[in-house]
Amino acid sequence: MSAPASLNSASAAARPRWVRIFCGCEDLVVVAILAVMMVLPVIEILLRKFFNGGVPASATIVQHLVLAVGMLGGAIAARENRLLALSAAAQWFKGGALTASRVVGFGFAAAVSALLCTSSWEFVLSQRSLGKVFAYGLPLWIVQLLLVAGFGLVALRLVWTVAPQWRWRAATFILAAGMIVLALMGPFSPEQLRWPAMIVLCVAVALGAPVFTALGGAAMILLWTAGEPVTPVLLKHYSLTVNPTLPSIPLFTLAGYFLAESGAARRLVRLFQALFGGMRGGPAIVTTLVCAFFTSFTGASGATILALGGVLMPVLMTANYSERNSIGLLTGAGSLGMLFPPCLPPILYAIIASSGNVVSVSIEQMFLGGLLPGLLLVGLTAWWGVSKGPRAGQDGRQPFERHEAWAATKAAKWELLVPVIALTALFSGFATPVEAAALTAFYTFLVSVIIHRDLHLIRDVPRVISECGLLVGGVMLILGVALGFTHYLVDAQIPDQAVEWTTGAIHSKWLFLLGLNLVLLVVGGLVEIYAAIVVVVPLLVPLGVAYGINPVHLGIIFLANMELGFLAPPVGLNLLLASYRFNKPMSEVTKASLPMLGVMVVGVLLITYVPWLTTWLPSLFH
Amino acid sequence: RLKLGTLAPKGTSYYNSLKAMGDQWRVDSGGAVNLSIFAGGAQGGEADMVGMMKLDSMQAAMLTAVGLSEIEAGVSGLQNIPMGFRTLEEVDFVNERMRPLLEERLAAKGFIVLFWTNGGWVRFFSNQLVNRPDDLRKLKVFSWSGFPEQVAIYKSAGFNPIAIETADIVPSLQTKLIDAAPLPPFFAMAAQVDTRAPYMLDVNWAPLVGALVVRKDTWEKIPVEVRTKLVVAAAIAGNEIKSTARREMNDSVSAMEKRGLKVTKPSDEVLQEWRQVCESTYPRIRGQVVPADIYDQTMKLLTEYRAAPAK
Ligand code: NA
Ligand code: NA
Repeated sequence: MSAPASLNSASAAARPRWVRIFCGCEDLVVVAILAVMMVLPVIEILLRKFFNGGVPASATIVQHLVLAVGMLGGAIAARENRLLALSAAAQWFKGGALTASRVVGFGFAAAVSALLCTSSWEFVLSQRSLGKVFAYGLPLWIVQLLLVAGFGLVALRLVWTVAPQWRWRAATFILAAGMIVLALMGPFSPEQLRWPAMIVLCVAVALGAPVFTALGGAAMILLWTAGEPVTPVLLKHYSLTVNPTLPSIPLFTLAGYFLAESGAARRLVRLFQALFGGMRGGPAIVTTLVCAFFTSFTGASGATILALGGVLMPVLMTANYSERNSIGLLTGAGSLGMLFPPCLPPILYAIIASSGNVVSVSIEQMFLGGLLPGLLLVGLTAWWGVSKGPRAGQDGRQPFERHEAWAATKAAKWELLVPVIALTALFSGFATPVEAAALTAFYTFLVSVIIHRDLHLIRDVPRVISECGLLVGGVMLILGVALGFTHYLVDAQIPDQAVEWTTGAIHSKWLFLLGLNLVLLVVGGLVEIYAAIVVVVPLLVPLGVAYGINPVHLGIIFLANMELGFLAPPVGLNLLLASYRFNKPMSEVTKASLPMLGVMVVGVLLITYVPWLTTWLPSLFH
Repeated sequence: RLKLGTLAPKGTSYYNSLKAMGDQWRVDSGGAVNLSIFAGGAQGGEADMVGMMKLDSMQAAMLTAVGLSEIEAGVSGLQNIPMGFRTLEEVDFVNERMRPLLEERLAAKGFIVLFWTNGGWVRFFSNQLVNRPDDLRKLKVFSWSGFPEQVAIYKSAGFNPIAIETADIVPSLQTKLIDAAPLPPFFAMAAQVDTRAPYMLDVNWAPLVGALVVRKDTWEKIPVEVRTKLVVAAAIAGNEIKSTARREMNDSVSAMEKRGLKVTKPSDEVLQEWRQVCESTYPRIRGQVVPADIYDQTMKLLTEYRAAPAK
């Protein structure tokens, strides 16, 4: 991450009193919002079940609370100097050079944030003219002002956090303002500025500009220099953050935070040790299975790493796995399970692929097709984890004891019920995915605060929730502007051109599949998965037909590649999230998960070139 | 360059009609109007498309009533009166007479309509046989969570609405969170809804209305003499799309019947029962769901049409 931890505490202590009060209020607001997000869907379930009623517009409200958490959490992340960056100037520079390099990186980032803020304002004005109502008579544009406030606060804080001295803050401000003035009022035409601006962007990112400013900046530069409006970047940011299924991400994350901050980790470690401690590589097997299990209902959102990272890391570390291998395994396992029911991506693929009327794929076919490939990826990951285990005698193996196993199970029984609660809520027709996520979060809250009393309602809970809000905010900023970047690609018709070029240049099915793997690896690394499905699948299906590939097989290849994309440097989502969760620089997480990436590549190639793995099970039920 | 968005995917007949229109536009304008189509919702859903048109990032879109209502709530009058229309001819008649008013309101928000379409009906799909209203009252019915007024109206008619997001319809039918949902047959087939909800009630619940809209600013930059030619080409595409949509509705129903969909056709007596239930909600729909003036005008036109001697 971009800044040494000492800087945070130093600046926090040096804050004037009114700033401290403002920050305290900000934290409280985020805590309140996340609490409402958690409670409202639960109330909705109860009202529906027992009173045949509901809270009017509760789904819309929860969706917009994600926007609120995203923007405020992002502002808090900026305040705490914890916006995610690809590299850290601190790795290369010291003293004055370090500060100077931070001025460049943060100056650029502040300029991008300021432009995102003013573009948000334009976007809100355009929405205002549509005159839509949010709920209870409140105009929607008022709620959308959160975008303006969020990006504005982030811009100010990038200037503020660059250094404690005013002269450096002034330098950063002048640099940011200078860049904007030069771009908008300088003697150059936008087209002339395209590559110079992109070079500045690369330098700024290398010097520690946050990831979201890299993606958002690139989208804005490319659109602007192509003569297109940049405001749709904000429209896309908005529409992603209020996506109906998206609230499950912060809610499952919150559930994970409650578990991680309570004694759940300790109890689960004890249980795993009791059950699998006697087996070679037991902790790795457990890690893999639990991650796959968890992801299959959190829906490839990266929530797995956030939620289980804190729980499973101690499991591996206690068994004397090296920190590096533990991070690698967790980062890799964090997206396993995407092919198993009830995970959303295969469902979404079936819907999108069939909607073109070119092919017809059912949801069941996708899940049957994904079963063996999914198990293959799980198996390969577990195998790698086992092979990286400490040598015999150093892994603290203990013989299995029935008494201890039973006691440990009893101690961990409330935690073990978490997946049961989530899956029952989902499959019994009891709740929507978002409600299931809220129920899970609420349940973990009850377990950690009421049942086990690991967390104190006043002392701990607000701290845990605001920490979760900070993380969700940082991630939302990235996901939102990533969709803005996708908007540029689609607007420039780059996917269409790629299709045209492919069918012209490649004539062999196998060569096409190899090329497909490479392209999807990049797509998976750069683009949010649901956006990728929606954008890429309609283009992919006709290509698949042209090359004679079974649409279910094509779908599983696509999703397996997306799964791999979560690990792909430089910006695979799992790398970002693992970096957040384990508080390690991206470069370190990337290095740690490279072997895992290799193992997964083998799996994806097998899935691609052994169609039987995918097509055999569905054919049995045809 | 004029960018047009549509949810219809590439290669479908809708797309091909729009493409042919774009080719004709290029010829008619001497190459000045160059239409790029963003098909399959490549640039987002209908709300996104409307937003992008507002920002001049997209200049035209073929929208359903969902997207049109994002611009102007009055359009919902054509779509949100359950069993308000009996035949597609009635829909055509009312749509034709309402055009000036609706188009004026859309223009006030900055959009020009090039053609209107109505592509058949929304039908009820359910996981149990539904014939009478009482059959549906036993089931959990989808209702869009973004529209609390509609939820209340369903309830007042004795139904059991479950307010969820449209994106959750298909998975929720699977988990039995809902038992029934009103859906366009074309969508039901594509999303394989019939495997979960294999009963379709053959009642014309609501018509599927859509339109091709263009940004007013963009449109008015085109010379008037060119515009008149473009309108002609658009009308041809519009008629093609309308007839394709109607044919495809029937095709999707028969395709689903082949794989096991059971279509329930209620008797006249039962149909009358359904009408009574729907009509009992009209006083609340007027004003709460459909703007009152639009509602009144629609009802007046329907009475007029039904009173006229058969053509
Ligand atoms: Na999503
Ligand atoms: Na995601």
